[in-house]
Amino acid sequence: MNTKVKEKSQIKVITGNAAAAIAAKLVRPDVVAAYPITPQTEIIEQISKFHANGEMDCELITVEGENSAMNAVMAASLAGGRVFTATSSWGLAFMYDAVLATAGARAPVVMVNVNRETPGIIAVSSGQQDMISTRDAGWIFLIAENCQEVMDLVLQAYRLAEDYDIQVPVMVHYDGFYLSYLSEVVDVPFQEDVDRFLSVLKDQPERIKLVPGGKLGCGSHGILKGYLELRHKHLSAMERAKAKIDQIDKEFQEIFNRSYSGQIEEYRMDDADVVLVGSGSMCGTIKTVIDEKRQAGVKVGLVKIRMYRPFPGEAMVGALKGKKAIGVVDRSLCFGFKGGPMYTELKAFETQLDGSKMISFIDGIANTDITKANVGQMIDSTCDLAAGKDVREVTWVSYPEAQEDGGL
Amino acid sequence: MIEKKKGKMTKVMDYLKHEDPFSKGVAFCPGCGLELLIRFIPQVLGNDIVITGTPSCSAPVLLGQNSQSWHKLSYFGTLMTGAAANATGLARYYRKAGIENTVVCFNGDGTAADIGFGNLSGAAERNEPFIYICYDNEGYMNTGIQKSGTTPFGATTTTTPFGSASKGKNLRRMNLALKMAMHKIPYAATATLSDLEDLAKKLLKAKEAKKRGFAFIHVFAPCPTGWGVAPENTIEVCRRAVKTNYFPLWEAENGKIKMTRTVRKPKPVSTYTKIIKKFNHLNEADLQILQDDVDYEYCILGGLSVLEAECQLPVSAED
Repeated sequence: MNTKVKEKSQIKVITGNAAAAIAAKLVRPDVVAAYPITPQTEIIEQISKFHANGEMDCELITVEGENSAMNAVMAASLAGGRVFTATSSWGLAFMYDAVLATAGARAPVVMVNVNRETPGIIAVSSGQQDMISTRDAGWIFLIAENCQEVMDLVLQAYRLAEDYDIQVPVMVHYDGFYLSYLSEVVDVPFQEDVDRFLSVLKDQPERIKLVPGGKLGCGSHGILKGYLELRHKHLSAMERAKAKIDQIDKEFQEIFNRSYSGQIEEYRMDDADVVLVGSGSMCGTIKTVIDEKRQAGVKVGLVKIRMYRPFPGEAMVGALKGKKAIGVVDRSLCFGFKGGPMYTELKAFETQLDGSKMISFIDGIANTDITKANVGQMIDSTCDLAAGKDVREVTWVSYPEAQEDGGL
Repeated sequence: MIEKKKGKMTKVMDYLKHEDPFSKGVAFCPGCGLELLIRFIPQVLGNDIVITGTPSCSAPVLLGQNSQSWHKLSYFGTLMTGAAANATGLARYYRKAGIENTVVCFNGDGTAADIGFGNLSGAAERNEPFIYICYDNEGYMNTGIQKSGTTPFGATTTTTPFGSASKGKNLRRMNLALKMAMHKIPYAATATLSDLEDLAKKLLKAKEAKKRGFAFIHVFAPCPTGWGVAPENTIEVCRRAVKTNYFPLWEAENGKIKMTRTVRKPKPVSTYTKIIKKFNHLNEADLQILQDDVDYEYCILGGLSVLEAECQLPVSAED
């Protein structure tokens, strides 16, 4: 057995769910609400174990449903507590009213959502449709690529949510069935380093808290200008969150020696002509394929969306401006539009991209793996687009039938 | 607020130790049972309670309007679906932070018996350390008088209108208080506005019981506007509800059910229904159905109240 050596970190091989649970322990929350749902369950099991073993000194509320999970942590947060909960797909849908209320109340809740499909075809399978269906709830959305980033993003999420200038709830997303159950090497931070990283929050002014005898109401009824003022302030806080996550990532690097460069991560972008835009676990595969394509002389790069709400429009334009062709990979649908949601949103910035052409790829839904071959196909199509060839606007990579008879 | 009883003042004033935190004029209807109740609670329990509540008749006053407040209490305005979970979050955080607190989750029957029953039941099962008070006006009054789970047989509402094919509500009411008592919580009780001393005692017992976990009080609070009752008759309706056993007063401490007021010779339920317009269309046979329901519920309650069974929980809220 190794004797405990005081180092910067401790290396473990753990799942994404375990990483989320350990991160939740490391932030020392006051209140945690727990309710099981596949593929999130392992998180709350681990937290329950930490709690039972006395490793986690929090109020653990084993609620009777996700709606209560969100309502409980929202209230605890408004009372002044640091809170955590986790859910997935139908659970996120079941707590949706409280998700909206939490955002409107500007309660700095941090929640992990392990992405999973939600259509009526009961798909216990991968996809980001749960995230997409709640994207305009007023939460900050962060997306992790691997188990290490799950750990690190949960830690960063608290700095962002509880920052006095932000005070907006944060949802950390990662791909269910891929990262949730996948064991990877994770550098688990030491408690004192996490304490130091979060201690910045203690130096900030105290946020308004609902306390007994405080004669303070929250959830007040508001209409007309009073309401518009609060909504506008919410939107402004979301805008501030963009620079804030970049700053937090820098400070994170100083303590933990890992960096993700904030809102978006650029991979081999300096001289890239052709770019894939993606999010979550697919980015690991994309990076591998890019390395291979680079060896074959293809100048391809990746822009990984880490912050999805607020949409990092300026950062995306900065990274993508002047590139010959961009292929956006979506793990969900956007009804009324042929392309995926991220593609559709990036399209809004098209006029600022100096003529970059764009196409949409839909893949990775319902456990259809985004394989290296699939990514290779996406890169090839995007290269064809760059070369001026006639390329379909939207391609369902794992469902070629979608392209039959003219497709969409 | 002071009720005359046999020509003498009741002792209810002795329980009003704290100021009325509400504005003198508020946006409730004349004769509103809810107003009397919500003014009464902080005068007994103190102005440092934290109230949570939902969209309902209580909302315009409790939530305030356009960020303007009608009262001086700490208040959390929330959603009907999760009111008990909100109260749970508050009470648990205060406990963790060592902040002394009395959280009062104050909801109508729509929240308590219908849309929010799941989380009310969940909070009771976990024995969460707060007080849940349901003001029961037998329907969704704020949205314009619709049927709820506690609307009694025969009552007309806008979703159970009287017609050639309908008696009004054609179903029986649920017994929310008994259901809550069956959660084996430290304290469950019924109360109403015609016996404020009884209500005050029960509030204080709930506050004491809260130290051991969940406390629930079901308060019968008529709605003159929605029921078709003269505003000055609100208290009389409460009194008759008790005297007919339509709404018996009881409590359950540690699961031991005890009548707090026994009616020696209960009056027929028609003496209660005749001063309420929502029952006006019922004929004798219809009234008998309502009477049978009242008798059945009272029989169950009577049976339970003679049992010696007690259920003291060894620990406070689940942790």
